[in-house]
Amino acid sequence: MKKVLVTMLLIALSATAAQAGLRVVGRGAERQFDPSSFPPAMKANYDVVRVKCVKCHTLERLVVAVQTGVAPISGQPFDRSATKAYGIKMLRKPDSNMTKGQVKQAVDLMNYLLSEAER
Amino acid sequence: MLLRKSRVAIVILAGVLAAPFVKPDRADAIPAFSRQHKTECSTCHTVYPELNEFGEAFLKNNYVYPGKKGAAKTAEGKDSKSEWAWLSGLPEMIPVSFTATIDAAYDRDAFDGNELDLSSRSLRLQAGGTFRDAAAFFATYNLYTQGAQTGPVANNPTVNANTPPNNNPNISELFLIWREAFGTPVNVKVGRMEPNVSLWKRSNKVIVVPPFASTSYLVGNSPFSVDAPEDALEINGVLGNRLFFAGGVVDRNGQNQNDGYGRLALKIGGTDYKGEEPEIDLDNESVWDYLAITLGAYGYKGRNGDFDQIGIARNMNSFYRAGAEIDILYKRLHLKGSGSFGRDANPLFLATPSALETHAVSAEGEYYLGAPINLVPLFRYDFQEGVDGATRRYIPAIAYTPLQNTKLTLEYIFTDAPTGINRTALASLAFSL
Repeated sequence: MKKVLVTMLLIALSATAAQAGLRVVGRGAERQFDPSSFPPAMKANYDVVRVKCVKCHTLERLVVAVQTGVAPISGQPFDRSATKAYGIKMLRKPDSNMTKGQVKQAVDLMNYLLSEAER
Repeated sequence: MLLRKSRVAIVILAGVLAAPFVKPDRADAIPAFSRQHKTECSTCHTVYPELNEFGEAFLKNNYVYPGKKGAAKTAEGKDSKSEWAWLSGLPEMIPVSFTATIDAAYDRDAFDGNELDLSSRSLRLQAGGTFRDAAAFFATYNLYTQGAQTGPVANNPTVNANTPPNNNPNISELFLIWREAFGTPVNVKVGRMEPNVSLWKRSNKVIVVPPFASTSYLVGNSPFSVDAPEDALEINGVLGNRLFFAGGVVDRNGQNQNDGYGRLALKIGGTDYKGEEPEIDLDNESVWDYLAITLGAYGYKGRNGDFDQIGIARNMNSFYRAGAEIDILYKRLHLKGSGSFGRDANPLFLATPSALETHAVSAEGEYYLGAPINLVPLFRYDFQEGVDGATRRYIPAIAYTPLQNTKLTLEYIFTDAPTGINRTALASLAFSL
């Protein structure tokens, strides 16, 4: 019982509330959203992001962009118009190997995360 | 397993079986930019040093991250603790990079009998960055390029080393850019630079050796080629996000006459020159979702001569070059075509001039494999006409990047020249840091 409590406490400490409704797990470059509270459709979208995006960069970038509203590399605002532009950029970049459907899922997820962050 | 091992052995053997080409790699987007913007090489490169569409926009934006005005301020830390750097206009970290090249070449007909030549070919220093958003700079300095090992060798360990001497270190490029001068879209660039005439800088290729014949060919004794760095003053800029213009004046030494050049490039489809993505309907398919076509045209007019003992150009050669280029990108397929023609009034620098008209063509097809891209098979065809006749090159090659800063290229260069046929296999290992 004690072990369970300690484990639960450690998990609770490692999960930080990014914004209301959004939980982040991990530290530093390992930070990513905890999708446990996402609606089923967004969970599926997050699975796409978790597989495709990490081929080139960490999910920490997404966390920082959503938390701060600023894209960490370019320093530009990270809003709904930006999410579509990033989606199109990745669609056209051979590195991403993403289909249009997968890009649409990723854009929907980013918009959902922005909505949740605004709450 | 045995089959896999033998394949690895074949690849390694192919790497070892490779002609020394003295010109080293140039890299324009460099690790200094990666460090400054805290982003990976693949942000700007397919496989380095070839630029992707965003890298092209970064170059056209004079090393300022494309986007809204002021974006670079955040990236450079105005709002961080480094206010001193911002106020001074200094980059926060020393923007220096190095690129090294190690080659192995196999030439059965090597003139010195050295069929297999393993060589630490070059070490270059590069620097680039911006002073706030107002100015940008770029420099490449050849620290070492392998020289020729000729003449009697003294019986002295320091001279008798089995390593070729260094060619004279020199500045390959060094220029400063005044961005958006007087609040206009015009950038003013001064210093030593490759004249901005081609769609692709000499370095902007998957394989940089040999360079495209269409922009690098020489005529007679004239050392001129449109891709050779010159001391110049250039203005350039982007109009309407998709039209790029450049024009410049080159200070030609040994005479009181300057060369002049101009260029236009139009990009249709794809990421524009400001780094903005095209509007795409994510629910419907269109060929323009993935297609980008860039058209370019240029002209260069100048005059050079044979320097006498006190450095005055004699037996003058007036020349011009004109060219047209096309770049087509569709998903993972990248095609490049380049053609040029010209006329030299006295390419042999003779007292009695004899004019020559020439033309050259280069075409290359690349296919990107991997996600992220780490393998690029390609084929290049070069044609050029010289004083002695026509030369054709056929180059199948493959580039592999196990890490984004490390590249192994394997090339087979078949050259059909007036002097005969040459077959060379070249393996080149390049890395940047």
